[in-house]
Amino acid sequence: MSHWLRSYLLLLRWNLLRLRAVLVSLVAIQTLIAVGVMIGFSFLVAEPDPVTALYLATGAPTIGLITVGMVAAPQLVAQQKAAGTFDYHRAIPVPRLAMLAADATVWVALALPGLIAALGVATLRFDLSLAISPWLVPAVLLVAACSVAIGYGVAYAAKPEVTGAITQAMLLVALMFAPINYPAEHLPDWLASTHQWLPFTYMAQAIRESVAVPATGVSPVPFAVLAAWCVVGLGATYKIMTRRN
Amino acid sequence: MLLEIQHLTKDYRGGVRANDDISFRLAAGQVLGLFGHNGAGKTTLLNQVVGLTLPTSGSIRIDGRDPVADPAMARRVCSLQPQSQVPLDGVTPRQAIEIVARIRGADRRRARERTDVLLTALDIQQWAGTGAERLSGGVRRLTAFCMAAAEPGRVVMLDEPTNDVDPVRRRLLWSQIRALADAGCAVVVVTHNVVEAERTVDRLVVLDRGRVVADGTPAQLRGDHRERLRLELVAADQAAARQLAAALATDLADADPPVVAGRRVVVAIDAAAAARALAWAQSQRTAGRVDELSVTPISLEDVYLTLVSPEDGHESLAA
Repeated sequence: MSHWLRSYLLLLRWNLLRLRAVLVSLVAIQTLIAVGVMIGFSFLVAEPDPVTALYLATGAPTIGLITVGMVAAPQLVAQQKAAGTFDYHRAIPVPRLAMLAADATVWVALALPGLIAALGVATLRFDLSLAISPWLVPAVLLVAACSVAIGYGVAYAAKPEVTGAITQAMLLVALMFAPINYPAEHLPDWLASTHQWLPFTYMAQAIRESVAVPATGVSPVPFAVLAAWCVVGLGATYKIMTRRN
Repeated sequence: MLLEIQHLTKDYRGGVRANDDISFRLAAGQVLGLFGHNGAGKTTLLNQVVGLTLPTSGSIRIDGRDPVADPAMARRVCSLQPQSQVPLDGVTPRQAIEIVARIRGADRRRARERTDVLLTALDIQQWAGTGAERLSGGVRRLTAFCMAAAEPGRVVMLDEPTNDVDPVRRRLLWSQIRALADAGCAVVVVTHNVVEAERTVDRLVVLDRGRVVADGTPAQLRGDHRERLRLELVAADQAAARQLAAALATDLADADPPVVAGRRVVVAIDAAAAARALAWAQSQRTAGRVDELSVTPISLEDVYLTLVSPEDGHESLAA
């Protein structure tokens, strides 16, 4: 275990040094996206009712987390693969999961300022009073970890040139065609039922319910589904990382 | 034996045979030079030892243990300097070397000490704190070497470590490669630079199309060519060089057929016949048909070129 922890901390340090130059701009852009999505969508609805406002206010930070995990993180992995540094990491004596955990830590931390800013701006913009529950912490961690796990799975499995296109497509689905910024009832039936198997619905629900707890309480279903997706994404990534040709 | 490779064969999907029945052994304290054309299977061999690639058949033993069954062991025991660039984005050489040394198990103090020793020994300490994006290719390559050598495994594998490095620092690098072996590591160096490697390596293995075509000390490989010399003449132009080669074939009938490359005419001669050949060459020079001439021992590079399949532009002398 001490070898695991030591490897994790050293890799984390390496990651922070590596990203130091771009860290500020990544955080800034990510925050702008989270806040921008909410404000932009609010133009579509002139007088949002409380339900619409809640979806917009909580959908935007969810999109922010998805952007970091499913777009920024895999694009960096793709860059590393193209540059040949991927194999270098595979040849150093560190536990594979410590390497993944060190990467995920950075991405989750990077998404937090945007999340807080988006929630803050939302309360002002829509005059919402949010009742934030302790569930927000596991919800954010799980949504971020799940996004990173899926993003990494894609980046490790796909060719670097294709990864960019796939991540853009995933973001488009999350932004426009997933029940994140609006309720699932707005979607055609086939798409709504497809989303019962995809993580987006559950990501939005976990965040939404943990900042505005419904009368029935926070549902455990999204947490369970996201945990399962997390395991699938990490499993795929781990398998590809340890694959020997 | 620290590294034992027996009958190792690797077929890639699509049927390409990268390694074909390779066997050799390497003891602690030895430097082995691994030679061969691009695509001869050198990098594939290293990747199998470090556990990144699975052999199709045959066996590898690192200190008696099997990297195929236990790739984590292979990564601990072997340190690898890959041929491709190492991840230096955003970090300085000092930071990169220290972090990898610590990942490989050195404590903070030892990591710092070893980093200082290597940066000084390779004369790159003036770039120790420079961001990697501003480093030249040679300094990046030397940094990659330090990352493998700061806290080395028992087996150190260096894939073309001298590429992009200037001649002065290449010498420093070779002495650090020797130092690793003297400290008890078994070192495998992949290189194309036969002349430089000859001074440092204890043994050479030459691969050609995935097969071992020679394995021995530099002296053993020179073997039959010890009594042979290389006569090189430079003519005024290519036409003159061809005439010179024709004259040589007539006048020195017992010499090998000469090889013409541009203005140069090269021929292998017996050491016993050197005086007569030299007198002939000097007479040609006096007659103004030769600009420069030299007689040298057949080099290990000449021997190497006879061992591997011919490629365009290579002359084969020692055959």
